[in-house]
Amino acid sequence: MGLKLQNVSKKFVGKQAVDNISFEVNKPSVFGLLGTNGAGKTTTIRMLLGIIKKDSGEITWNGQKVERKHVNFGYLPEERGLYPKTKIYDQLMYFAKLKGMNAKQADEAIKKWAKVLKVEEYIPMVAEKLSKGNQQKIQFMTAIIHDPELIVLDEPFSGLDPVNTEILKNVIIDLVAKGKYIIMSSHQMASIEEFCTDILILNKGKTVLQGNLKEIKEGYKANRLEVSTNSNIEKYVKELGMDIEFSKDNEYTIKIESEEKAHQLLKNLVNENIEVNKFEIKKPTLNDIFIEKVGE
Amino acid sequence: MRDLKTVIGFTIKDMAKRKSFIVSTIILLAIIIIGINIPNIIKAFTGDSDGDTNNKLLVVDSSNLFEGSLDSLNSMNLGYEVSITNENLSFDDIKTKIDNGEIDEAIIIENGENNSHKIRYIVKDMAMISGMPEELMAGINSIYTNLQISKLGLTQEELQSLNPNFEYSIEQTEEQQVSGNILVIMLLSIVLFYAIYFCAYQVSSSITTEKTSKIMETLVTSTSPTTIVLGKTIGIGIVGLIQVCVFVGVALITAKFCLDPELLSSVLDMSKITPYLGIMTIIYFILGYFAYSLLYALTGSTVSKPEDIQSANAPVAILALIGFYLSYFTMMNPNSDLNAFAAIFPLSSPFCMPFRMMMGIATPAQLVASIVVLIITILIIAKVAIKIYSNAILNYGTKMTIKDMVKIYRDKK
Repeated sequence: MGLKLQNVSKKFVGKQAVDNISFEVNKPSVFGLLGTNGAGKTTTIRMLLGIIKKDSGEITWNGQKVERKHVNFGYLPEERGLYPKTKIYDQLMYFAKLKGMNAKQADEAIKKWAKVLKVEEYIPMVAEKLSKGNQQKIQFMTAIIHDPELIVLDEPFSGLDPVNTEILKNVIIDLVAKGKYIIMSSHQMASIEEFCTDILILNKGKTVLQGNLKEIKEGYKANRLEVSTNSNIEKYVKELGMDIEFSKDNEYTIKIESEEKAHQLLKNLVNENIEVNKFEIKKPTLNDIFIEKVGE
Repeated sequence: MRDLKTVIGFTIKDMAKRKSFIVSTIILLAIIIIGINIPNIIKAFTGDSDGDTNNKLLVVDSSNLFEGSLDSLNSMNLGYEVSITNENLSFDDIKTKIDNGEIDEAIIIENGENNSHKIRYIVKDMAMISGMPEELMAGINSIYTNLQISKLGLTQEELQSLNPNFEYSIEQTEEQQVSGNILVIMLLSIVLFYAIYFCAYQVSSSITTEKTSKIMETLVTSTSPTTIVLGKTIGIGIVGLIQVCVFVGVALITAKFCLDPELLSSVLDMSKITPYLGIMTIIYFILGYFAYSLLYALTGSTVSKPEDIQSANAPVAILALIGFYLSYFTMMNPNSDLNAFAAIFPLSSPFCMPFRMMMGIATPAQLVASIVVLIITILIIAKVAIKIYSNAILNYGTKMTIKDMVKIYRDKK
């Protein structure tokens, strides 16, 4: 059950956009699709939505092949857009009807989601009069208004202020709790780490890393030490052959090769009667892993 | 089908609500009503209530060459209010009278040498006049001839035999006889061309707007590209057809109620505008609109920026102009083979065939061939346009070239 991509490839004129990728989302959750610009994320999304045809491989939803005419997924594209001179209500009604709702169902859904996303006052207005963030929330409504089982969100938080980001995060959490499958593509690694259970990183159309995010991170050794002291400790760090990545006001981020060296540093600082306010050995963040995998 | 209805409904509502559409419709209606009423407006300004605009003509016969017989010019209904004088008036005297508004124009008859006579026709401004009106010259010649004949002492019978009463008529060797006012038909052809052209152009504009506003991505995940193209084309076509019907209806009603019936019948034979002709004109409007709007859908989908739309649409505009002028210029010679070709050639047939029908020279075989060729052309354009549209609408960036389109067409087969 759920969404399954097997050995999917797509070539455009002279360019292999997606090269033999496979992944599966088999339970309600948020799946992270990551990659640099031009890595093949949008092509992958367009194939799984049935907008463009794949060259090879198989895409199934609940065991059935995904075909354009049968797809009724929700989609928030990265390229935001609304009809600028058309009233929001008319636009939402239009998309809801195209997604199979009748006027009464659509009207109820518009009112419900307008309240949840706090955009009720904008519904009678034309789109060009709304701020970018509010336009984005309206477009989010077009993605979920027909209560789809699978929702694809491409950069859902870009351009949103912290208040609206929080609103959207709560909606996503609720959607997963209600059994929805969500594919999220984002460059904001913090958001991916917050929501996603499984991830796939693409680079030049190829999968460079995929799996359970927690397991991926556990597979990495600690590589960073964060220390805060009441005096300069550069001398002690260099004595142990370690590099300082960042320092400011006696707060240091130090690259480490092993946890033993970090403990040795702490021991040395204590022996020198240097007051240590913070000492934290850290594993690589998703951002670090991403850069390691796709960085040139 | 349900999606198609939804797209058509949204397109109609969206277009009809646009301020630019409402304002341009109102302005065009005002132009139509004012344009048809121009004769009445001129009358109102000139204060001429019965339309009789006889010019005041002064004939100066100082040598009394016509012996007072020029009075009969008034009975010839030449459109002049003629007054005769034997005073010896100079050019400057006439100029003063014209400037004062006493007369509009004048004729000075002067005796020359060797029994030759000189007639000077004096008007205020000869910019729009190529010479002395022929009717006036014929009238003066006739009066002078009669005067001289009467002096020969001929009997009444002899006199009548000198003034034959010929009955003139015109016939043609071509079997098909053209009826109707060609100039009016050509004018209607221009109206039909612009109606088709501008409605079709709206499709391109609408598609580019959807691309530039980035709504396309959401739209293509909601319904198929074929539904979008057809829904948009049909929706805009319905609005355009209603708009054209309103324009024509208002024009006919205004002409019927505001124009002098004699003037109206002289330019447009209303008996030629039959329901059959009306239906066929609407059919040609629809077919012509579909052919050009689908071409515009194709070009509209290849651009992402509003500034590129003009250059992308240029090839279609050129095709439309070729089609129109092929029809327009051959209409001056409607029995020519080229006009018959223009009535069947799909680019020009929508602008040509309705008027061949109006002129009564379209044969049933030509009509069937014209419609069949046009429908086949539309189906071919639709196939190519929808295919390229489906793949081009998600391309953002620079305007696509014809080479790119061919590549895409081949690549997606």
